[in-house]
Amino acid sequence: MALSKEVYKEFEDVVGEENICNDTAIMPSYYSTELSAVILPKNTAEVQAIVKLCNKHKLQFRAECTGWTFMMPGMVSQDFIYLDLRRMNRIIEINEKNMYAVVEPYVISAQLQAELFKRGLNFCIKGAGSNTSALLRGHGHLDQTTSGDDRNHLAVEWVTPEGEIVRSGALGSSDEWFCGDGPGPSLRCILNSVVPPGTTPGIFTKTATKLYHWPGPARYPIVGKSPKYTLSEVPPNMMVRYFSFPSAEKMYQAERQIGESEISYVLMGFNASMVSSNITTSNEEDFTILEEFLKEVQGPGFLVIIAGNSQEDFEYKKRALQHIVSEADGKSLEKVEDPEIEGIMLCQCTRISASIRETFRAGGIFTSIPIMGQRDLCLRWSVGAGKAKEPLIEKGLIVDDGAAFFGWGVEHGHLGKTEIFCRYDPLNPEAKKAVEEWHKEQIARAFNEHYFAVTMGSSPEEIGPALSNYHIWWRKFKEAIDPNGVSPEVGALA
Amino acid sequence: MGLEQYQGDMAMCCRCSACKFIPMQMVQGFQYANVCPSIAKYNYHSYSGGGRLNIAAAMLKNGFNYTDKLLDIVYNCQMCGACGVSCNYAMDMEVLEPINEFRIKCVEDGHTHPALDKVITSLRKQGTMVPGAKGKRAAWAAGLNLKDATKEKVDVLYHVGCLTSYNKDMWKLAKATVKILQEAGVDFGIGYENEACCGGRAYQMGYKEDFLNQAKRNMDMLKKAGVKTLVTSCADGYQAFKVLYNKYNLKGDLEVLHITELIARLIKEGKLKLNKKVNLNVTYHDPCHLGRLGEPWIHWQGKRIPGEKFVFDPPKEYRRGTNGVYEPPRDILNGILGVKLTEMVRIKEYAWCCGAGGGVNESNPEFALWTAKERIEEAESTGAEAIVTACPWCEKTFNEAIKESGSNLKVYDIVEIVEKAI
Repeated sequence: MALSKEVYKEFEDVVGEENICNDTAIMPSYYSTELSAVILPKNTAEVQAIVKLCNKHKLQFRAECTGWTFMMPGMVSQDFIYLDLRRMNRIIEINEKNMYAVVEPYVISAQLQAELFKRGLNFCIKGAGSNTSALLRGHGHLDQTTSGDDRNHLAVEWVTPEGEIVRSGALGSSDEWFCGDGPGPSLRCILNSVVPPGTTPGIFTKTATKLYHWPGPARYPIVGKSPKYTLSEVPPNMMVRYFSFPSAEKMYQAERQIGESEISYVLMGFNASMVSSNITTSNEEDFTILEEFLKEVQGPGFLVIIAGNSQEDFEYKKRALQHIVSEADGKSLEKVEDPEIEGIMLCQCTRISASIRETFRAGGIFTSIPIMGQRDLCLRWSVGAGKAKEPLIEKGLIVDDGAAFFGWGVEHGHLGKTEIFCRYDPLNPEAKKAVEEWHKEQIARAFNEHYFAVTMGSSPEEIGPALSNYHIWWRKFKEAIDPNGVSPEVGALA
Repeated sequence: MGLEQYQGDMAMCCRCSACKFIPMQMVQGFQYANVCPSIAKYNYHSYSGGGRLNIAAAMLKNGFNYTDKLLDIVYNCQMCGACGVSCNYAMDMEVLEPINEFRIKCVEDGHTHPALDKVITSLRKQGTMVPGAKGKRAAWAAGLNLKDATKEKVDVLYHVGCLTSYNKDMWKLAKATVKILQEAGVDFGIGYENEACCGGRAYQMGYKEDFLNQAKRNMDMLKKAGVKTLVTSCADGYQAFKVLYNKYNLKGDLEVLHITELIARLIKEGKLKLNKKVNLNVTYHDPCHLGRLGEPWIHWQGKRIPGEKFVFDPPKEYRRGTNGVYEPPRDILNGILGVKLTEMVRIKEYAWCCGAGGGVNESNPEFALWTAKERIEEAESTGAEAIVTACPWCEKTFNEAIKESGSNLKVYDIVEIVEKAI
């Protein structure tokens, strides 16, 4: 819906002429030609003013950071006021003593992490990659060390759908960001939902995130040129290995024991295809290496990074790892033992810099079912979801990755993140339809066979009845904080 | 074919925003993480590499709707190619090529920028990209008694380039180059008034036909003169002769060298000795057209293999910025006694542009200066006394930025440093 000149002017008065645009030319880069306007706020006050104007004129809004919303393009084909948060890109504070960092939405994870490495610290970077916002919660390669999701958000500055500024946790009663739950209002259940809709109405303008010890170097000794960066040497007391196992059960046994013994810095349940994508610089090379890997791996597997705080610590962790893997009949993938490949994987899987290779490069797009829950149950489901990919692979509709899934234990490994995706050609409607059907069937299977309730791709109404009818309370809450319905549920921003 | 041939590539854009930043592993902190001047300055996603592809793909599908904003987006891009390098770290897809084709389409459809039209008028009338150029192209060489490569046989033709020829402030670069070549005993000549613009900057601006006219004219002259090797100290010229002429099958067997490549070769062969000490702390700026865009053109013709994967028959090799000219200038600087080279954060294939490319120097000088100032600030952060580059366009823009910002940093072309060392 086109804004009237008067309404447009009201928004323009908030951000200035240069920071609002409704020219149709820019809209394809924001997914939809039907957007009412794209606005670039600079700070919380401007966000608040924009949201209040949206309420005044009953205009729906949506905010976004770097843009990983590829899976939901249909959801933004409406006449939204679109807030591109690119100008809100400051690291507000890195508090080394209390181990938290406060960021605005458009600080990317690579920036924050690079600053943290200099201080011997790290934080949870989402598996989507370090090109995404450092503000977001999520899961990823570092989960065994940093955990994920709601574990990491501390205090949050939140502009509600009505335009109120709410400061949660310690920030609600002081200027301190160290805690999300008090002294001050704890809004954990609202701000950190992992069940659908999975997003919080309104806009986060600043968050504090927990920091963790980083035993690695302040800066990796990277040599070479893009797209092949290697390390001149693997830093001391660090090691990378990929192990495959005869069965998902055996893999889970090893994964859980590694979690319980707290020896891994990274445990990422890559399948063989994701390893080959990581270490190769083109699709052709990727598929050649994958063929080799599929002959060598026994079954599902994971990548482990060991990082010792001293040589003794490193030696202990290595021995423990060897013992655990051996007991589960694990087999090391030889290629990853090559110091050059080990260096590539070490850097990429701690800096989370190759996720795009794993997901988009092969076909152009992917559809994923990411789930969080009791890891052994999730694994059983994912074996079936993998089998269900086989007909699509045989028809040449999706990329052949050996019908694989992936995932990893979080913290001590009993809970875990499990994920499975199909990669395909975005210009092939038949593939898109087949993948959508697979997606729907596997979500239904998860729910109907009581494995878990998925966290994406469903509505609260679909899964609410199985989860204490939370959807009823959610709707009441939503109506209370968003009486004008201006903050629709359109997926997480990235 | 034009833009249409890149439909598949444009569909590959996953909107990950990698095109806005240097490759993730190379990010060293909060500062100097940006790689694209256009998105860094204008902020709307539309100004990024990915945003440009999204727009081009949509217009290819739904028709071209030229608005002022669209042309603002199109012409406020230095065509520096940094977006493509960052994208191609992970993705197999063309980025700069469709962006370039989109601009060419704008020009073909008559949606040009008045400032660029003025430059092209000068090119058509005077054979130079320096509007208002006065005097003779080779006026800088007066009294030097250099050979005329179009009249006598020489081993090497020194192509001076438009800016160096017509901007008196840049004559020192040509003179330094001559001194170096003479010192090394190279049998060389220049084209005098037969030298013409390489056409490279016209191509960056979207004027493909004008570029092709220049390329054909230059190659005719070079063939007639029997030139086997061409050396230039202009990065734009280097990229035009070496890469663009090859892209359009006009280069033939001509060996194209940047002066840094030739100097490095002469040093290695013992023909040039850098004996004098030059006490200077420097940092080196990789010109886009010598670095990431200077890598050889890869001729490829093939088809996408139908199916789920984005693969081709025969396999397609992408130009990812890997094979640009990065080491020769560094080898030269490191070989000069007293010169201490400290690198900036953004170097080689992911170097920040000087701001002058893509016609921005002419169409939006303020943006060009803004971009150059960012580079000057980055250079200062290394503690260097001087920023050394290997292109007159970079030197000019840096000098303008320094003048405006009041920085104490000095700017040198690498030939000036070499001249001091011989």
